[in-house]
Amino acid sequence: MKLFFSLMLLLSILFANDATIEVIKKVETLPSIALEDASRDYDTTFRLAFFKTLVADLNVLSLFNVDKHYNRISFDDSVIVANKDMYYVLRYKLSQGDKDSFNVEIKLISHDKNIFLKKYEIRNKNISVFVAHSIAYDINQFMGAPSIDWIKKRVLFSRVVASKKSEIVLSDYTLEYQHVVLKGGLNLFPKWANKNQTAFYYTSLGGEKPLLKYLDTTTGKSTTLLSSDGMLICSDVSGDDKMLLLTMAPEGQPDVYIYNIATKQTKKITAYGGIDVNGQFIDNDTVAFISNRLGYPNVFSQKIGSSSVEQMVYYGKSNSACSAHGEYIVYKSRESSNTFSDNTFNLHLISSKTDFVRRLTATGVNEFPRFSSDGDAILFIKTYKSQSALGVMRLSYNKSYLFPLKEGKIQSIDW
Amino acid sequence: MKSILLSSAVIALLVFSGCSKEPVVDQSVNQAENVMQPETTTETVGSDNASVDTGNGAGDDLDNKEMKMAKLEKEFSVIYFDFDKFLIRSDMKENLSADAQLANTKASNLNIKLEGNCDEWGSDEYNFALGLKRANTTKDALIAEGVSASRISMISYGETNPTCSDKTKDCWSKNRRVNFKLLP
Repeated sequence: MKLFFSLMLLLSILFANDATIEVIKKVETLPSIALEDASRDYDTTFRLAFFKTLVADLNVLSLFNVDKHYNRISFDDSVIVANKDMYYVLRYKLSQGDKDSFNVEIKLISHDKNIFLKKYEIRNKNISVFVAHSIAYDINQFMGAPSIDWIKKRVLFSRVVASKKSEIVLSDYTLEYQHVVLKGGLNLFPKWANKNQTAFYYTSLGGEKPLLKYLDTTTGKSTTLLSSDGMLICSDVSGDDKMLLLTMAPEGQPDVYIYNIATKQTKKITAYGGIDVNGQFIDNDTVAFISNRLGYPNVFSQKIGSSSVEQMVYYGKSNSACSAHGEYIVYKSRESSNTFSDNTFNLHLISSKTDFVRRLTATGVNEFPRFSSDGDAILFIKTYKSQSALGVMRLSYNKSYLFPLKEGKIQSIDW
Repeated sequence: MKSILLSSAVIALLVFSGCSKEPVVDQSVNQAENVMQPETTTETVGSDNASVDTGNGAGDDLDNKEMKMAKLEKEFSVIYFDFDKFLIRSDMKENLSADAQLANTKASNLNIKLEGNCDEWGSDEYNFALGLKRANTTKDALIAEGVSASRISMISYGETNPTCSDKTKDCWSKNRRVNFKLLP
């Protein structure tokens, strides 16, 4: 089976090297996998919730046909009869350890052989979803599939709960775990400050002027970095966490600025008299951004320190948000000429090295795309029939997964 | 009050983080892993719990002043905009002139904050910039009518400050607006 995955991987490297090329036809038969619960502790409700999370995670891997039947068994018994024909069986046991720690023991079985074993332990069962994500991550890695670091990352999002009222929430990528880290007032556009996800920047609109603030989640200390008339947003953080791309409007004119965290120096990058926003690092020297310099919002790029601007997208007449990862840029485009039709905003992917445009979504309002740090996936906000949901799109597998938000409206996201 | 709230948040954080020692790893098994654990605290409380000082006359004066300011604020007309546009519509010019006159007469000793707002079609930075440009064109029009630029500040709330939440064109058009707020 590992040979199968190796071949799949080789084929994907050979033919799907360019993410803008959509893989229409793939091998349809994926190996089957069933789950068997060998837990003795915790109640049925909790066990079923964990089972559902694990099923969802395995689905997102896009490596298996996941059987959704819930089965119980002892951890050391042989595979149950109903699962004899399954290519894989993932058996797991949830148990309560010392000081109420949450423990999970797993074994991946194939043809009656244990091929992968692992144990997990955390202090608090309230964050058990992250264990399920870690299990999926490890199985993905065991199968030799491309890395999915993003599955273990924490998602930050701002949620509008009323006019001029919002919350900043920490969650997993499925929204199953949610913890409000900031509430009261209007705090928007949270952006992780580092790869370890120990602090974040956000815009505070509670006072007379917009403020850019930094919140250290390990100490709870919030500090103000900058203020600006009109608007002030941290759009991107450089790969080394040392520079920020900001949208500021000190004179009432929104432009893209670069901010050096160490020297606290701010330098203006764009200087157009209309709207320049949403700066994204393509590399250390070049930024992509949204500008209405052609009379409608579109994606452009500019070298830092140069005044020469390059148009990046030649498709669509209203492309008002983007996210960059190396040569790839995902952007939001208004599809319909009818301003308020049902099918209004879709996401598209381009490469700066080819002319291909790949449409990534087809229905609803899809916006705020954010590449994962490894470029494997795109997180986005989808609104469909007035419901807000977090979407995860796996580019190499051409699959999207949606996780609805039960209350409020997602305003912005980062992971 | 703010510092008390922040201190409470930090204390709460320290209390909780004190409980959250590193997970113990069972080394005796095949492989064990500490699953990355999200922070459990950092919750801050908004100003809703702030107590109101009613014990002296200064508070009454303040309330009286704020009430007068709020009453005057309502006399300003809201400036509405077309979809995806920030130019002043011809049907709004009369309202703007009236607003400028009000700013230079009854409200001449107050500062003005222009709040740019958008409809719900977009939660991105562009929408916030659109709200700001709407505030900025309103500011330019006020300056042209003799209002001092130094009295005017701006803020954009994007789509986060709707006055109407129905899913209709009429409702969306009410949210594409600039509001006047008065500041001492």
